[in-house]
Amino acid sequence: MITAKNLNLIYPDGTEALKGINFQINKGELVYITGPSGSGKTSLIKLIMGAEKPTSGQLIVLGHLMKTENQKGIRGLRQSIGPVFQELKLINGRTALENVMLGMRFLNIPRSQWKTKATEALDRVRLGHKILSVAENLSWGERQRVAIARAITRKPSLILADEPTGNLDVENAENILNILNSLRDEETAVIITTHATHLIDETAITQLIHIENGLIHINGGLHS
Amino acid sequence: MKIIIANLGYFIKETFTTLKTNRLSNLLSFVSITLAFFLLALVITTWIVSLQVIDVMEQEAEINVFFYETVDEPSRDWVAASISDITGVVSTRVVNEAEALQRMEEILGEEAQVLAYFDENPFEAFIEVKVDLNQSQAIVSALQEIPDVRSIRDNQQVLDQIRNITRIQQFLGTLFIVAAGTATLVVISHIIRQGVYHNREQINTLRLLGAPESFIALPFLLVGLVMTVGGGLLASVMTGAAINMGYTQMSGPIPYLPLPPQGLLMWNTTLVILLLSLLLGIGGSVMGLKTSKET
Ligand SMILES: Nc1ncnc2c1ncn2[C@@H]1O[C@H](COP(=O)(O)OP(=O)(O)O)[C@@H](O)[C@H]1O
Ligand SMILES: [Mg+2]
Repeated sequence: MITAKNLNLIYPDGTEALKGINFQINKGELVYITGPSGSGKTSLIKLIMGAEKPTSGQLIVLGHLMKTENQKGIRGLRQSIGPVFQELKLINGRTALENVMLGMRFLNIPRSQWKTKATEALDRVRLGHKILSVAENLSWGERQRVAIARAITRKPSLILADEPTGNLDVENAENILNILNSLRDEETAVIITTHATHLIDETAITQLIHIENGLIHINGGLHS
Repeated sequence: MKIIIANLGYFIKETFTTLKTNRLSNLLSFVSITLAFFLLALVITTWIVSLQVIDVMEQEAEINVFFYETVDEPSRDWVAASISDITGVVSTRVVNEAEALQRMEEILGEEAQVLAYFDENPFEAFIEVKVDLNQSQAIVSALQEIPDVRSIRDNQQVLDQIRNITRIQQFLGTLFIVAAGTATLVVISHIIRQGVYHNREQINTLRLLGAPESFIALPFLLVGLVMTVGGGLLASVMTGAAINMGYTQMSGPIPYLPLPPQGLLMWNTTLVILLLSLLLGIGGSVMGLKTSKET
């Protein structure tokens, strides 16, 4: 589902964010990408989403060759991803429900299902009582959960969560990770980046990728 | 297309949210666009009226033929009959002294009292010749050949003058359409650029979620259209009122001015204005979106 071979990313200012990394992620995996702040986790997520292009090496995501993929291909790829961004990227002034529905409006999901799916997803992240609150009135943890609900409703092949525990206390962080861990199924792979390694449920994951300074240091092998 | 229809409500909501973010400046823009369209509509209206006047005058091209004083009444009829035979002449009619006086009295209305100062009827008889304008040149030459004819007066000169006026109107009108059009395009594209800038976070999020560019752009296109078509509609209503006023005033002093039917004039002007506003709205929005992308 994702293959990286000798993948490099050098930013225009010369920063070498990723220095020849190799890994493979298969259908239905739950993968944690760990590493200290500034190690290159977000850069990797950006590459997977097509927000940055590899400087060299190969990256294939859901069949898209990312180095040469055009805008239309990238758009298609993004439509099969459920992203939970580090900055969440909710629309201010819109309710939780509207934010979740926005993720479905241009996908192949019938209009009649938008509202029910969004409400169900918000229930699933235990925000059923806040569906009509506007984004800026929610706590960070609640906003995190709205972002997750938005990702779920898209029925993605890949859920990407970048630092979902940032800004959260331990209880909320574990909560969020439990929800994310539970999203993994045969059709959906879940990839989570975090520098809070102590919160990872080792029994649930299939792979652990530890990055430091743009290099992969440990790649914990597959166990079911 | 399916996506657009399914999201109509969303797009309309987005459009009005964008319009509301810069309320005062958008309102002022709307007012200036409306005024530009109103002025444009007035220019177009007078233009249409002039064309109509020419059209009517060309259809009614008329030549008046005057006799030497020695020509008696039977001879007048005979001259009129021979004029009828000239190719291009539609009809002839002898207007005698009494009828000429009566016509002038009608035109003068209350002022007709001045005619009482004349001991005798000062008007002379003439033949009213209706002609096909395309052949008027040849007809005039033929009339000059007739021995009993003293002088000829045709409306060729008047027509030429009106034609000159329309040419100026056409030039000014075109200039005005270009000026108002450019101003509208600039204003709309500026509004769109502002909207895009204000919503840049949201646009970025939509792109990351894989939204098609058309989905992202449509609310902005609608912003442009609401401004121009709204302005165009308002301007059309104002023009309708202005035309109404104009017609009421005109029918008094210049009753014989061949104005086009009022309804038709309004309909034509409205059509042109709405079409222009549609084009300018789309054009301005596209310009705004295009120039936003480059930055
Ligand atoms: N847009 C950018 N331009 C230049 N350097 C960047 C950019 N984004 C990130 N970096 C740098 O790349 C390195 C990796 O950053 P990032 O991928 O954000 O790390 P992490 O998410 O693990 O904290 C850091 O040194 C960071 O400063
Ligand atoms: Mg990061």
